[in-house]
Amino acid sequence: MFKAEQFIKENVEHLKKTVKGKSLIAFSGGVDSAVCAELVHKAIGNDLIAVHIDTGFMRKNESAQVKDLMKDLELNFKFIDASKQYFTKLKGVIDPEKKRKIIGNLFIELFEKVAKKEKIEYLVQGTIAPDWIESGDDLRDTIKSHHNVGGLPENMNLKLIEPLRDLYKDEVRILARALNMSVSERQPFPGPGLAIRIIGEATQERTEIVREACFIVEDEIEKASKNESMELPWQYFAVLLPVKSVGVHGDKRAYGDVIAIRAVQSIDAMTCMYSEIPNSVIDKISTRITNSLGEKINRVVYDVTHKPPGTVEWE
Amino acid sequence: MMSPTSHLEPLNGSEKNMVKIIVIDNGGQWTHREWRVLKYLDVETKIIPNTTSFSEIEDADGAVLSGGAPRIGIETTLGNCSSYLEKASFPILGICAGHQYMARFFGGDAAPSKIPEFGKVELKIIKTGCPLLSNVSDRSIVWESHNDEITVLPDSFECYAESKDCKIQVIQHKDKPFFGLQFHPEVEHTEFGETIFKNFVSICETAKK
Repeated sequence: MFKAEQFIKENVEHLKKTVKGKSLIAFSGGVDSAVCAELVHKAIGNDLIAVHIDTGFMRKNESAQVKDLMKDLELNFKFIDASKQYFTKLKGVIDPEKKRKIIGNLFIELFEKVAKKEKIEYLVQGTIAPDWIESGDDLRDTIKSHHNVGGLPENMNLKLIEPLRDLYKDEVRILARALNMSVSERQPFPGPGLAIRIIGEATQERTEIVREACFIVEDEIEKASKNESMELPWQYFAVLLPVKSVGVHGDKRAYGDVIAIRAVQSIDAMTCMYSEIPNSVIDKISTRITNSLGEKINRVVYDVTHKPPGTVEWE
Repeated sequence: MMSPTSHLEPLNGSEKNMVKIIVIDNGGQWTHREWRVLKYLDVETKIIPNTTSFSEIEDADGAVLSGGAPRIGIETTLGNCSSYLEKASFPILGICAGHQYMARFFGGDAAPSKIPEFGKVELKIIKTGCPLLSNVSDRSIVWESHNDEITVLPDSFECYAESKDCKIQVIQHKDKPFFGLQFHPEVEHTEFGETIFKNFVSICETAKK
């Protein structure tokens, strides 16, 4: 089995020996980057600077919560609002791989800028096994380019540190629990954020729609799991589709977009089964989405695909 | 490339009687999961690319030929896998592409599946006596992901299990400790995945003695 205490001890010792200088951690606020920050912080203390970038594609109130988390972990941190830059760069981009690469490249560009100013030598990332496996290499096909792997330039000035490279999410959660971290059970959220939950162009307007829909899905599913009407899925969210359908609103024809609900069971994201959400919960989600998003969304569907053949996120 | 070799060395690989099972990486999405399952079974294990020469793995007690994107139904080579199958006396477990390649190497054939299988499938054991399937129920859920499959079983092999759309799911060589699985025992959702790996580890332990 996975031995958390041993992993922590060995990795902190190894980091102490090998990291000589200031380091920047790409801090999304998820369990991978938070655990990684905690390990490196134990090794090099305040020579570690956490940087959180608000891409504009974070969930409702998420960046504010991440700021609180960095304070709680007593990290030296910087908060960068780069949402305007992200929206500009993604204008007119539809291809999912292009989206992912543009987002990944801009992350590194922004990190390098901070690094240069602060004379930072190392870039720490919470990369885990599925990130580099799915990004592909000499032997492996590219399923999707993860921002922290496929977005890296060939010649990067920063030296890369990725202590969690050989772990899967369930193992990172074991580490988080051993380190008493509040983020240990947080559901996964992809680095490119809501941009890859909008099929087609990720405009600001469409981001607001999917942000609200994701909030409703999370809220209703979390409520249902709290009152024990269902097991909390591994990951659960909404996807905005580039498809319009006809509806009827107050005796008038409506013509709006479609939201897909996605929820899956897994331990490591390498294989998944779609979650069985009780009909009463699906009903609440559907009614709340179509009522609160009014003329924008008039249809909600549920994705019943396992992985394989599907993947968790749609892009 | 895979992660640096130092990360792939087991944390305590020097325990007595521990078998050493090499994972040959044919570029599968789940190669690293095979490594993880073996590591959890306290086996000394390491992932190596399929371009490695046989002399570098000669001292192993067993090997897993991983799956991968190569289309064995169309392509005829799989790195250096032919030399491992030709020279090894230790047990070998071929998974997916590794399984199809094993059949091809011994004179059988593989071709694109009429109905490819992705995800959840029911496996049915059709013949008893395969040590790899010891303690596995006659019907169980396995996870699949293949475009090709074995269409001609070599004379030197026997088939032990099938699914509705793919008749050759589990094979064993009649004289050598070589096994092949079309499905993926290394993933979380395969019901008896860990049991199958435990069986393979015992097969390697017995062969070592």
